[in-house]
Amino acid sequence: MNDTYNYFKILFFGRLRDFSKNIKNEIPVSDEIKCVEDVILYLDTLNPHLGKELRKPFTLVSVNKNLVKTDFPIVGGEEVAFLPPVTGG
Amino acid sequence: MKIKVKIQTESFNIEQETNVLTSGLRNIGSVVTFTGLVRESEHFSAGKNPKIISNLVLEHYAGMTEKLIYEMVEEASKRWDINSVSVVHRIGSLKPTDRIVFVGVASSHRLESFRAAEYIVDYLKVHATLWKKVVVNGIDEWVEPKHLDRSKFNKWSD
Repeated sequence: MNDTYNYFKILFFGRLRDFSKNIKNEIPVSDEIKCVEDVILYLDTLNPHLGKELRKPFTLVSVNKNLVKTDFPIVGGEEVAFLPPVTGG
Repeated sequence: MKIKVKIQTESFNIEQETNVLTSGLRNIGSVVTFTGLVRESEHFSAGKNPKIISNLVLEHYAGMTEKLIYEMVEEASKRWDINSVSVVHRIGSLKPTDRIVFVGVASSHRLESFRAAEYIVDYLKVHATLWKKVVVNGIDEWVEPKHLDRSKFNKWSD
């Protein structure tokens, strides 16, 4: 049994990392977390400032490197990334 | 269609990248390249004096950035008849005058490579998962996205 399936891997980029300094990058799988929105609710209880940033309209979310909407279902072992507006180039 | 996408900390050699772009291809009549550099000063707020930047720090989402750039190049190749594209983007800590990004497009005729190169750069600015931080007087701050970049990209769908 590989225990990575017991966790969701959570990544924050850019300015979002400044709001998530005390947040672990792994969230244990539970019956309460079924989709990306549940991850946001969970993070919001840990840090409301971060929760507010994650809900901003320009914050994008990806699961396993594919952009998704917040109702996207997730299972243990998957990688959920929160992406603020990009500034490359 | 030949595609090279590379995210790297080290700088790049423009001539070398241009050779990579066309090597093995015998029907290229046009090569258009774009190189982005780090500016020393930037107006962060309208009406205020420009700030002098000591460093620009870039981070990205490894794996996702490359995937998104491939998708951009695929999209460009549907719109224009192009034969080869190279995108090299640097990450890490850069200084004013350093090169940040190289975009090269090769095609049989010039119009296609001109258009596609501009399209890929515009696309990169608003979709590739890269984030910039500037260091001004020892204090770092995240760069805000520019509305101009967004509106310029949106014009491609008009």
